[in-house]
Amino acid sequence: MNTSVLTHPSSNSGGSSGALPCGAAIAQGAEPDAQSIALPSSAAPTTATAATLHLSESHWQIGGMHCAACVTLIETALHAVPGLASVVVNPATQRATLRWDPARTAPAALVQALKTVGYSAWPDEAGPARSLRAAERRLALWRLFVAGFCAMQVMMFTIPMYLATEHDMPASARQLLGWGAWLLSLPVMAFSARPFFAGALRSLRARQIGMDVPVALGLAITFVVSTAATFDPGGLFGAEAWFDSLTMFIAVLLASRWIEMGQRHRAAEELEATLTRLPDSALRIEADGQACSVPVSALRPGDRVRVPQGQAFAADGPVLQGHTQADESLLTGEARPVAKAPGSMLIGGSLNLGAPIEMRVERTGQDTRWATIVELVRSAASQRPPGTRWADRWAAPFLWTVLALAAAGGLFWSFIDPARAPWVVVSVLIVTCPCALSLAAPLTWVAATRALARHGVLLRRLDALDGLARCNRAFFDKTGTLTEGRVLPLGSVPAAVLARAASLARWSSHPLARSLASSLSSSSASPLSNSSASSISASRPAAIDPADEPGWTDVQEQAGAGLSARDADGATWRLGSAAWVDAEVGTEPSAEVPTGIGEEASADAVLWLARDGQVLARFGLDEVPRPGVAQAMAQLQAAGVATLLLSGDSPARVQALAQQLGMAAAQGGALPQDKLAVLAAAQARGDCVLMVGDGINDAPVLARADVSLAMGQGALLARQQADAVLLGERIGEVVQARRIAQRALAIVRQNLFGSALYNLSCVPLALLGLLPPWAASIGMAGSSLLVVLNASRAGRP
Amino acid sequence: MESLYLLIPFSAALVLGVIGVFGWAVHSGQFDGLEAEGARFLHDDLPGDLPVTAAALDADQGLGDAAAEESARRLNDPRSP
Amino acid sequence: MSSPLTLTEKQHAAEQAPNEQANVYADAPVRLFALAAVLWGVVGMLVGVLIAAQLTWPELNFGISWLSYGRLRPLHTNSVIFAFGGCVLFATSYHVAQRTCQVRLFMPKLAMFTFYGWQLVILAAAVTLPLGITSGKEYAELEWPIDLLITVVWVAFAIVFFGTLGTRRVRHIYVANWFFGAFIIAVALLHIVNSAAMPASLWKSYSAYAGVQDAMIQWWYGHNAVGFFLTAGFLGLMYYYIPKQAERPVYSYRLSIVHFWALIFTYMWAGPHHLHYTALPDWVQSIGMAFSLVLLAPSWGGMINGVMTLSGAWHKLRDDPILKFLIVSLSFYGMSTFEGPMMSIKTINALSHYTDWTIGHVHSGALGWVGMISMGALYHLIPRMYGRTTMFSKQAIELHFWIATVGIVLYISAMWIAGVMQGLMWRAVNPDGTLVYTFVESVKATFPYYVVRLIGGFLYFSGMVLMAWNVVMTVRAGQVLAVPIPPVGPVLGPVPGAPVGPAPGPAPGAVAAA
Repeated sequence: MNTSVLTHPSSNSGGSSGALPCGAAIAQGAEPDAQSIALPSSAAPTTATAATLHLSESHWQIGGMHCAACVTLIETALHAVPGLASVVVNPATQRATLRWDPARTAPAALVQALKTVGYSAWPDEAGPARSLRAAERRLALWRLFVAGFCAMQVMMFTIPMYLATEHDMPASARQLLGWGAWLLSLPVMAFSARPFFAGALRSLRARQIGMDVPVALGLAITFVVSTAATFDPGGLFGAEAWFDSLTMFIAVLLASRWIEMGQRHRAAEELEATLTRLPDSALRIEADGQACSVPVSALRPGDRVRVPQGQAFAADGPVLQGHTQADESLLTGEARPVAKAPGSMLIGGSLNLGAPIEMRVERTGQDTRWATIVELVRSAASQRPPGTRWADRWAAPFLWTVLALAAAGGLFWSFIDPARAPWVVVSVLIVTCPCALSLAAPLTWVAATRALARHGVLLRRLDALDGLARCNRAFFDKTGTLTEGRVLPLGSVPAAVLARAASLARWSSHPLARSLASSLSSSSASPLSNSSASSISASRPAAIDPADEPGWTDVQEQAGAGLSARDADGATWRLGSAAWVDAEVGTEPSAEVPTGIGEEASADAVLWLARDGQVLARFGLDEVPRPGVAQAMAQLQAAGVATLLLSGDSPARVQALAQQLGMAAAQGGALPQDKLAVLAAAQARGDCVLMVGDGINDAPVLARADVSLAMGQGALLARQQADAVLLGERIGEVVQARRIAQRALAIVRQNLFGSALYNLSCVPLALLGLLPPWAASIGMAGSSLLVVLNASRAGRP
Repeated sequence: MESLYLLIPFSAALVLGVIGVFGWAVHSGQFDGLEAEGARFLHDDLPGDLPVTAAALDADQGLGDAAAEESARRLNDPRSP
Repeated sequence: MSSPLTLTEKQHAAEQAPNEQANVYADAPVRLFALAAVLWGVVGMLVGVLIAAQLTWPELNFGISWLSYGRLRPLHTNSVIFAFGGCVLFATSYHVAQRTCQVRLFMPKLAMFTFYGWQLVILAAAVTLPLGITSGKEYAELEWPIDLLITVVWVAFAIVFFGTLGTRRVRHIYVANWFFGAFIIAVALLHIVNSAAMPASLWKSYSAYAGVQDAMIQWWYGHNAVGFFLTAGFLGLMYYYIPKQAERPVYSYRLSIVHFWALIFTYMWAGPHHLHYTALPDWVQSIGMAFSLVLLAPSWGGMINGVMTLSGAWHKLRDDPILKFLIVSLSFYGMSTFEGPMMSIKTINALSHYTDWTIGHVHSGALGWVGMISMGALYHLIPRMYGRTTMFSKQAIELHFWIATVGIVLYISAMWIAGVMQGLMWRAVNPDGTLVYTFVESVKATFPYYVVRLIGGFLYFSGMVLMAWNVVMTVRAGQVLAVPIPPVGPVLGPVPGAPVGPAPGPAPGAVAAA
């Protein structure tokens, strides 16, 4: 076993950071995109004259942060670098924003300062987007505060008008209070309400009518008429001012938009967190055993990489040394840390939580699972969800109707009671709320998508939500979907031999060897959940302690055949196919012939292990149901979804598995055209069919189904044609996905129904003059808030 | 109620002032990163109490789990020596 | 962590001595105000005990005019609120601002001026009030020359405090400082508006307002004095000393910020609740009532935030008497901020106004909230001003806590019973419309409760005396040390490749542009 010492660039450089290739790699790799920010000269050092001080801004992601106390350390370390103007660290997201003077320092020095105190940093590509969102949030918060604060004060000024009788309050006091209310409504109209006016103008310029148009009109009319009433009580518009309703309405409406913005931002942040997971540099272990920091783009398959605790894995590949836990939540939806042992596969972009480990690179860059997921996510995010198209179609006529009704009402009332006319118009304009359509529907889909992502279900087409909710039949493929293949010992094999087999297997990248290594040494190996497992070795695979590993020398691998190596005693071990092992097939170790892997009685070993020509163990490939499948089938049945196992495998096996898993029906021996036929027949009967397969071989069937899900297997992920991908490969999530989709649809329906009811009842009331503006504003703002809150329920797990 | 002639304009002016202060606070980032800021002052009592950067001494993280654990422990417990 | 200095390095350090000042906190004003607070606490409470005794046994004025109740009562209120409470606020605001901003006090000499100026104000009050020199406005009795001095001192206070915030080296302004800042500004505005007067002679002036207008302004001032001086200021204290003593951050920092702004929103209009059923117009009274009720929410938000800071660490209450003071003070705060809005409801006020229930309410807030949080804060602060982390005697603190608590409970329960009884007696009417009780009968009935109140107040006072003793012993056992400010540069162990030497001071570019 090699022990490597991390080469610390600073200990070698003694000043020149470019001396080693490693150091240069850091400097170049960490060169972030800097933005120039011009500061007013008041912030410049005293020597500056009228010139502005140009600072560069960098957004970094920090690795190794464990707690809030780290913030102080990081800031202190960075402030020691001359030329740093400011640094803001967010421990919750582990990101930092730095402003520095390019004339006095460079990112390399800043990164170095961080490394000195034990943290790593890499550029945060989403930084600028995050800054934008933060700026948007700040502005929205300020608008909301101004509106809320002024609304309270205006309310304080106007309550006396409601409370006092004629004699209680002299006219001058009334006037004074009125002026005060007008004054404090100005900031609200000029500043807080600006988004409504801007939105209305925008849609009018595009010759369309958006949701903001009636709102803006209502606000404007209210303000103008109230102002007239305040300063000219005996005039045309009467003496009633409604500043309290006006400001309160704006405040509550801003509050509901604030909530909606929060949801949107959270979705974007989660998206970005997935997108920016891959680190920019990695510690590659060179031939001489030194660890050198290189850009991730320089990694090649076969490289050995050390991953410190707290960093993300730079590529896909197996663990070579060490035990740790990985946080794969963003990539597979698995909320709990996943234990990783030598042989376990690591996913590039997931986080190393437990301890430093060494891994081998297998897939890098665009080939990684992560990159594929990013692509899927990006394409899905750019689609418009189905409901919104429908909503857009109906929103415009709805709003035109509202405008027409308001105008008609105003006209009508101007003949009957002119003082009331403006209030009727205002009430009609304000009370109508198309929020369920234009605001809540998109929000519901966004929230549902987030909830699905947290369960490891990635939507490629948003239309799938509809199908997911409606489906009442579920067809499942067998091999690779409901079952997974595992290499396990045939018969009982001594633990010491298993240990040797496992440690030898780790040297190979062949899928069979890897599967062997992980099933033997993974301590989180899921217990085989059904009876067919008992036919296989009863010895539970024990966790391999690295300290027990014998040293292997002279390891050689022959592609497609096997591995050979020499152990400490000089014996030659071979692991591989029968031919490779060159064993006399038939020479059994002291174990009995195993009876049946599944239904096949033949001892079909796929891997043989021999020492000095003598077979010590054989390993077979067994197909075991994935964990949790039986439970998922039961849940689906309970939810009213009939399950069918559809497979090309032998009918007997298929029937047996279906029975074992509690599925309603099974059909074996099905060729692709047979599968299509079954599907067509079901659809002709009026069923809505969900198809779960492996996405590659069943492409035509998946395309034909109403909604299709595919298992998110590694490199094949890129060629998925299904509507959605199960990243976590947990069948149980199908049930969750269906539940989430149904809830989302239900919420949309609730919102639409409630909104329709509200509009149908309130608009006539307003036309009849029975709805004063303050009631209209409460109604509109309240219903808007309710609808948004309801929509965000879709995001709950 | 002549006192109102004083109190009303006064409170209106005060409101505008308060809005200005809040605006300054929002834009100078006073409301960013609240969790860290709420706990920051707990660590800044005396200079010797600054969390020891054990990580600086263990820059080689390949030393193994023990060192990493010790680093983590010290970083999480600001009052440890 | 520091390497032994060579001779040349020591010389170098000595030459740098004058600059060392800049790297040390200016704690002299803090120290002085803290000790003064303890002194005035004892004095103010002693006067309180005396006037409580006088209410019970009126002969205790001995016929001497400057010992008469009417003159001593304002002396009591001013000394506990402005002398004791004021010195606590000065000490803690100077302390908290420096520590949370990691910077030396702005213009320490001006801060020392505020100390001497404030002591002068207190002494002037101690002299003029017993002499009968008063403007007659509650909590604003001091005549115009002293009002001017207060204004000057307060402006200096604002300069020092906001200057310290302005030169801070930490970007974020900790929430406690927001409360202190609001308190300083609000008190300035209130003082200037309410104390506006036309001087007639050196010690006599006439208020700029008259009649019910004056009443309105007076109680706008009066209630906001309670709200900003006794609440906002001490909430700032609470948000620093409770987390510090408990060694845990505030339960929800976000909530504390919302708490602050919510309080600012609503406090301004609660004043009229002091004037129910008076000549004040009905609608003004109603607004006062409405907004007093609204105040309940932010107050309780703050209380919950402070108490829940101990969530998960309640066991600390068992062993730490200082924490007991701090947390129990919050429960009294919650009680008072519930009782207050209730009492501002007109129907309830009809019973409670002018009775001793009001006194009970004031004292549950004053003894329970203000008193106990101040004591807890001082017990935390004073040892640290003398190079220690603990007071001289922990048992004395524990004993003080229990004495004080028993004293408060006796006090307020006596006053509740007395108050309700008085209210009921005064409004009891016979079927023919005449009063059932004469006024003097209600006075006689109140007598036993005044005795109990006196006992309770005396207990509280003796707790304060115990505290004074503990403080004196602590000061004698400790020593004044210069507390260095953590430098902005890194204070780290040996770094490979970095030069070994004394920790560098703040990088000039970093500070200027920060």
